Parts: sequence; C-alpha cells; structure tokens
Amino acid sequence: MFERRLYYHIDWAMLAALMALSAIGLANIYSATGGPTPIFTTQIYGIILGLIAMVVCLSLDYRALADKSHFIYIGVVGLLLYVLIFGVVRGGSRRWIDLGPFNLQPSEFAKAALALVLAKFFGESRRGGAVTHVELLIAGALTAVPLLIIARQPDLGTAVTLVPVAFAVAYVAGMPMRIFGVLALVGLLAAPVAWKFALQDYQRERISTFLDPSQDAKGAGYQQIQARITVGSGGLWGKGFTHGTQGQLRFLPVAHNDFIFSVLSEEHGFVGVLVALGLYLFVILRAIESARLAKDRLGAYLVLGVLASFAFQVCYNITMSAGLAPVKGLTLPLMSYGGSSMIATLAGFGLILNVRMRRFTN
Amino acid sequence: MAVAEDRRRITFRLVVLQVGAVVVFAALATSFWFLQIAQNQKFEQMAENNHQRTLALRAPRGVLFDRQGKVLVENRNAYSISIVREHTKDLDRTMRLLSQVAGLDPVDVKRIVDRHRGEPAYRPIVVVEDASLAQVAAITARRLDFELPDVVVEEVPTRRYPTDALAAHLFGYVGQASDTQVGDGISQGAIIGQSGVERVYNKLLMGQDGAKVVVVNSMGREIRTIDEVPPVEGRRVQMTIDYDLQKAAEDGFHSAGFNGAALIMDPRNGEILSYVSLPAYDPNAFAAGIDRATWASLNTDKLHPLQNRGIQGRYSPGSTFKIVVAAAALEEGAITPDFTVNCTGGATFYGRYYKCWNKNGHHVVDLRHALEQSCNVYFYTIGNMLGVDKIHKWAERLGVAGKTGIDLPNEQESLVPSTEWKLQRTGEKWYAGETISVAIGQGQVSVTPAGMAKMIATVANGGTPVTPHVIRAVDEGQGWKMVGPPVIADQIAFRPDTMTAIRDGLWMVVNGAGTGGRARIPGRDVSGKTGTAQVISNEGKLRARGSGLDLRDHGWFVFFAPRDNPEIAGVIFAEHAEHGALGAPIAKHVIETYFAKKEGTPLPTLVPKIAPSGADEEDPDSPAVLPSTNLDNQIAANPAPAPNLRAAARTLAPGTN
Repeated sequence: MFERRLYYHIDWAMLAALMALSAIGLANIYSATGGPTPIFTTQIYGIILGLIAMVVCLSLDYRALADKSHFIYIGVVGLLLYVLIFGVVRGGSRRWIDLGPFNLQPSEFAKAALALVLAKFFGESRRGGAVTHVELLIAGALTAVPLLIIARQPDLGTAVTLVPVAFAVAYVAGMPMRIFGVLALVGLLAAPVAWKFALQDYQRERISTFLDPSQDAKGAGYQQIQARITVGSGGLWGKGFTHGTQGQLRFLPVAHNDFIFSVLSEEHGFVGVLVALGLYLFVILRAIESARLAKDRLGAYLVLGVLASFAFQVCYNITMSAGLAPVKGLTLPLMSYGGSSMIATLAGFGLILNVRMRRFTN
Repeated sequence: MAVAEDRRRITFRLVVLQVGAVVVFAALATSFWFLQIAQNQKFEQMAENNHQRTLALRAPRGVLFDRQGKVLVENRNAYSISIVREHTKDLDRTMRLLSQVAGLDPVDVKRIVDRHRGEPAYRPIVVVEDASLAQVAAITARRLDFELPDVVVEEVPTRRYPTDALAAHLFGYVGQASDTQVGDGISQGAIIGQSGVERVYNKLLMGQDGAKVVVVNSMGREIRTIDEVPPVEGRRVQMTIDYDLQKAAEDGFHSAGFNGAALIMDPRNGEILSYVSLPAYDPNAFAAGIDRATWASLNTDKLHPLQNRGIQGRYSPGSTFKIVVAAAALEEGAITPDFTVNCTGGATFYGRYYKCWNKNGHHVVDLRHALEQSCNVYFYTIGNMLGVDKIHKWAERLGVAGKTGIDLPNEQESLVPSTEWKLQRTGEKWYAGETISVAIGQGQVSVTPAGMAKMIATVANGGTPVTPHVIRAVDEGQGWKMVGPPVIADQIAFRPDTMTAIRDGLWMVVNGAGTGGRARIPGRDVSGKTGTAQVISNEGKLRARGSGLDLRDHGWFVFFAPRDNPEIAGVIFAEHAEHGALGAPIAKHVIETYFAKKEGTPLPTLVPKIAPSGADEEDPDSPAVLPSTNLDNQIAANPAPAPNLRAAARTLAPGTN
C-alpha cells in the first residue's frame, strides 16, 4: 500500500516546519502554564496522536479518501449533531464529546471533511471551464450544514473557519471573480442585519470593544489591551524563556490557548515572532506549491481546502494576539493548546503531504 | 486544450494566493515591528506598571520615655484592611463581600470607598484601620479562595499610649496629614502628630517611611520583592515627665473627683515632672484613625475633653495672684515686708467701698500675714500704690502674662491688663479704680495654669523665669543627647528680703493659720497659696439657676517645697472645686511621692476622697460665705460702658481670700 517510492516524495521540509512550529508551541505552553503541568503532557499526547493521524492520512491514497468523502462528511455532520445534543458543556457552549482522558471536538474535523467533500465535488462533477451557479449553490449548501450546526453550539469562531474552505476551493475551481464581488457586496449589506439579529450580546460587545478597548478596560477590552502590552513589551529579543511578566503573572488571559502567540512575542521578542511567522509562511507557500504540483484538480482543491482554514486561523489568531483584532475563541493551529485541533491540523497536513507525495502516481 | 487552459488558470490563481500570503505576512510582521520595536518603550512601561507596585513601609514613630527611662508611648502592629481597585472587575461585589466577611456596615464601606474614588486605582483604599484578629483571619481565609483578590491586609506600626489616658494632652495624638500639612517631608496620607508632643516634636518622632517594590500578579497578589528600602524608626525621645508623679497627680484628681489641670515642675530648670489636663481622651482612639462617632462625641462633650486646660484654659487666678502683687510691690520698692495695713473688713478707693473676705477685718497685718490670711484690703492698698502697669510688668516678668513658651502647641496667652492694653483693646483709658480688683487677681486678669506654674516656679527659685518644657533628651542614633533647657531671656534676681518675706508668707499659708493646711507635710516645709476663680457672678448665678450648668467656682493651689531651695513647684487647678484648699491634698500627694522617690521610701498611697462640704471652718475660699457685692453700687461707681462693667462686676463680686 505504501510504496517505497512514495517515501522519497514526502515533503520533508514542510514536515520539519510543522514539527518546529509544534515544538515552539509546546515550549510556550510550558512557559505559560508554569512547567510540566497536565496541560503540557496533554499537548505532547496531542502531537503524537496527530502524527499518527497524519500517517494514516498519508498512507491512504487521497483519491480513495475522496471517493469516500460523502461518508466522512455525513459521519462528521452526525458527530456534530450528536455533540449538539449530548456534548459536554464547558464555558457556556457544547463542543466536546467526552472520551475519558480526551475531550474530542468534532468541529475541528469538520474542516478537513468539508475540504474533502468540496474537492471531490468540484474535482469530479464538472467538465472543466467555469463553475456553474448550481454548483456554487450546492457547494454553499454543503458548507452551510456543518457551519450552522457549529454556530448553534455556539462556536462562531470555528464555524467561520469553514467559510474560507468553501471560498478557497471555489476560487481555484474557477469561480468567476464577479461572484466574489457580489458576495462581498451582499456581505456588506447584510452586516448591519447580522449585527442586529444574528449576533449574541457578548459577540456584539466584543466587536464594539475592539473598536474602542478603553470603553471596557476591565472587561472585554482588558484582554485586548493586555495582549497589546504583552506583545509590545517584548521588544527585539524578548524577556527570555519563562521570564515574561504579562504571561507569567497572568495579566494575559488564556495565555496557553488563544494567546500563545502573545506569550511567544513577549518572551522571544520580534526575532521570535519573525521566526514563527517565517515558518507559517513557509508552510503556507509550500502547501500552495503542492497544490500547483498536484497530479489532478482533486488534489489541488483538496490542498487548498485544507490550507484555507489553517491559513485563515493563523492570520486571525496572530492579529488577535497583538490586540489588533476582536478577541475570539480562535486557536493558533500547531501552537495553541488543544488536542483535537492538533490532531485535526496534522491530519489535514497529512492530506496535503499525501497530494504532493502522490503527484507522480496513477 | 481545455485542460491546459484550466491548468494555467489554476496556476495563476495559486500564484495570486501565494503573493497574497506573502503580503499578509509582511503586513503582520510590520504590525509586530510597530508594537515591539517602535512602541516598545511605551508598552514596556505599561507592562511594568502592570506588575510592579511600590508599597510604602510606614516607619514606627519614636518611643517616648519618662525621665527614668520608663516607656510611656510605644508602637504596636495594627492590621489595616484595604481595597485595591486596580484589577477589580466588580467593585460593588467586593464591597458587599468584604462587609459581610469582616462584619462591617456596607453603608460605611461605601462611603469610605466613594471618598477615595477619584484617586489612582493602584492606591489602596483603607477600609478598616485597625482590624481585629477575627476580621484579619476571616479575610485571609477568603483571599486564599480567590474570592477577595482585591482586598489587602497590611501590618502597620501604630501608636500605643497608656491605656488609662495618662497624660493624654501632653502626648497628644497622631492622624493622617491634612492637605495643608503635606509638604516639607510629609507626604500624602502620612501619619503625623496632630497635637501635644506628637505634634511639636513630629520631625524627631516621625522617622522615615521606607518603600518596597514588589512584583504582583494579575490578582494583585505579591509574588516577590524586587527592591526594599527599610523604614527608619523615629528618634527616641526622653521626656521630663516622671511617670510616678504623673500618676500621683492624676490619681489625686480622680480620687477627689475633680477635672482640671496640673503642672508640676522642677523650679530650678523648668522641667515639667507632671502634666495633667482632665477630663482626657484616649489617644489610642486616634492612633489608627478615629471613627466618626468617637470624634463627634469628643467634640460635643460639654466637658470639652479635647481642650488642653493646662495651656488653653484661661481662668481668673483669684488670690494666688496676690503673690505677683506682693513681689511687684517689694521689688519696685513701694513697700518693705514690714509695711502694715489696718484691715477693718473693707476699704474705700475712689469713692467705692471694697470688701475684704473677712467682714470682721484682719486688723493690722504686714506682708507675711497678709499673704497668710489672704487679706484683700492689704493688697487693694499696695496694688493701688503700684498702679496697674507695675503689676502688669511683674506679672510679665514672672511669666504669668503672655505665653510661657512651653513646648506644647496652641498655648493661649495669659492676660494681665495694663493701661496700654486697655487703650488698644477698647480705646479707653484705664481707671485707677479698676486696679483695685486686679490687685486681688480679679477684674480682667485671666491666666492659664501653665502661666501660674511658671510664676510659682520663678518665685520659688528666687526670680529666674524658667520656661516650662517637657523634653529632656533625644537619641539621635548615638545614645541619649541632653536637650538644654530653653534659654532664659530675662534673668532677674529677687532682693533677699523679697524672697524671704514671700517664702515666709507662703509657708505660713500651709503651716500657719492660712488656707493651705491640707498640703502640710511635716518636715517638708510646703509653701503655697490657694485661690478661687468664680465661674459666674453671684448675680448671674441666681439667673442661671436651674440651667443645669455647673457654676461652682474653680479652685487654685500653687505651691513649692521645701521652703528653702525648692525642688518641686507647681499648680493644681481644680474645676468646680469651690475651694482652692481642696486642690491642696492633690499637691500634698504629689509632693509626698516626689520625696518618697527621692529618698527611696515606699510611694505613698492616696487617702480617700475628702467630702468638699466646707469642713474647714477657717477656709475663706468660698464666695458663698462672703457678702456679695451689690451690682448696682458698682454701676453707679464706675462709668465704664456696660459690657466692661459687667465683666468688672462679675470678677469683683467674689472679692475673697
């Protein structure tokens, strides 16, 4: 099944970058939580399990997986529904399935499942040339189902990460640019309506606080102000490993999770930031390169679909870490604490490596 | 073809994405550059403000010792409970929980917090200044549970005064510096002396507050100390007070049931051995911030416990003033000690008849016997010979006019009139008739007990007006350094015959047929003089009857001992004692204690209270036994305007001893 020849086509550079980012994340979790706490060990397990998931995703031909994508998609949607009804409630939302030592967060896997099913859909259903409106509508529907379920948990942050998946796949599949324009216009017009009806109070508060953090310096604005102080006080070289004051003394909330990049910025400074940004950029460019090299459209779409939510989350989280975007429960893939996220991310990259590795096979 | 086209479009779009990714990451890197490099200093400062806190370490005030090294005022550790709002999310919740845990009135807590709301959030708002151990325990227990993370319990050195309010007015009290007191080494919120020795010697006693820079976490909890400047304790100060004499004097007052004042001095150098002002307050109530109710009750108390009677109370000196007039007459050469006057129970001056307290008259008396008998007619006569300005001059020289210069704050001036004073005050000339009442310590004469103490000490030491003072030595860090007695501005020596005559007369008051017999101690040659200060005229007394005010006369007793080379002198002022003679037993107790200490014999115990029922038949101090002056006569005799007249009438009326 796993031909020896394929082994030579594994993108070792990307794999190394992924491992480096995971290690940087691990070190910062160690620093932010104050030593080898259960959080730290859980993250190690997450990485190990993630690597196993990656190997599993590598070993199966992505075309074979795409053939089964509708089952995977339906399975994930089923899990999401299950979570919505029977999931573990934490922090006011129902996102997890209790697996004993682990809490599984199915919404993390919805991204890869959606990428698969959209890649398959666009890769096979069309004859080449421009995508039709019907196809776009179907793709929209496929995206909307898991998105709405996740939004009901409620976990708007994760739900939103599905949107780039759909757009990225549609974009490389040849969606006309004017449709992007129309959608952007509709989005702009719908924003006030969404503000009024779709958003929860706390979400509205977060956005208005973002625009003026000082209006709520003790509440929601606090995190944003503290994030900016944390990053800004890092300077060029940073305060040193475990010597940050903002993270160590807990001025920065959820430092090991949403704000892990702030911890990095504080303790390792602008230099550390450049290294991490460079690694992420390398991974993204390398993945897009893989899409270009892909043997077929399916492969290219799949890579883009998986990459889109990853890149979106990376950009958003890093912006938020610097206090430059509204605070949202979006983790930083590969670095933030979170087993499900780590497994799903590495599994996703398993698919990307898969596409690249099999670019010469039939 | 289509496939190739498709491939090309995909490639193009992928390149667009790659360029887009590079642009986005470049933008991110630029943003971080702005925050971390361009604005680094600003954020570094903010981060530091976040986690570094400078805490004041209050310096303990200097310990006060008595002249034998016994500790009088020291420090103890009090616990203060404060709210630091810096990281408070819900101040109302904190206040509610704190009130509940510490058993406080939520309304009070809110009022305190509201008063300080405008201050910077990192400055603690002290809610309880001197918390009980139970409160501290309850709060620390909660703090550990992170329920009250913004509540801070601090140990603060706090003054501890003697528990029985001993010498309260002498020590004074401390309190937070008011806005006008800030500056010159006194910072906002500093605890400084507000009264008494605490105030006058604040600079010595205050010490230097230290500071501690600590790292705190987001809950405001201290993690570690970065820098610490330890506080420097205030200077140790030795007072001239003798604890046992202080106690003896206060016990004397308590046992007799009097309020009033007493200053006991060493007449040779002006050191105050005992300083009493009663009723007193408990300075401990101020030590950690006085509560409103206590402050209000101290201020509205009809007995005025906050008034420092020794230097702020002004009273008519009555017959004790005759000492001044005698000294003036002798030193001015107006009379010799052998000068005699025939007292027939009264005499007429300037067309008006002035009574002696003894309507049968003292017959022919010389100065010694005039002092012993407290003969009014004798002093009317020599006072008239002297004139008011000479009396004023000698009152000033003896320290009973103006301020004594005692090292306690807010001393009032003693007042002995003069022609110049009257002209300035009222624009009118002095009438010779007014001198007559001045000669027996009535009229406009109004003196503080401290003034009387300086006078009797000066008379006792032969004419050196020593300045009363309460500080003996200061420890500047290299052991005790004596503080020299205040410089004496105006050295005068009595003529020998002046000295002996006055000493003889005052000795006879106590040891002869005079009014001071109750201070007699065999072998100690106590010398003294009693006096009565009327609170209100006999006329006014009738009018005020039933008003509930205590209108009984005040009693004076000035003394020194022994007669020759006196070592101890002083004044006992007993409020509403009616008889000056009733202050004498207090003096006796103090003098006995003094000599017992000096000679190493057991300290005397106090004799039970004497009923002030006029048991002493020969006591002429009570105005009640005297014929009251007819007010109408006086108005007819004296053409001064009404307000002045009333004053004259009031003070002339007792006209006794």
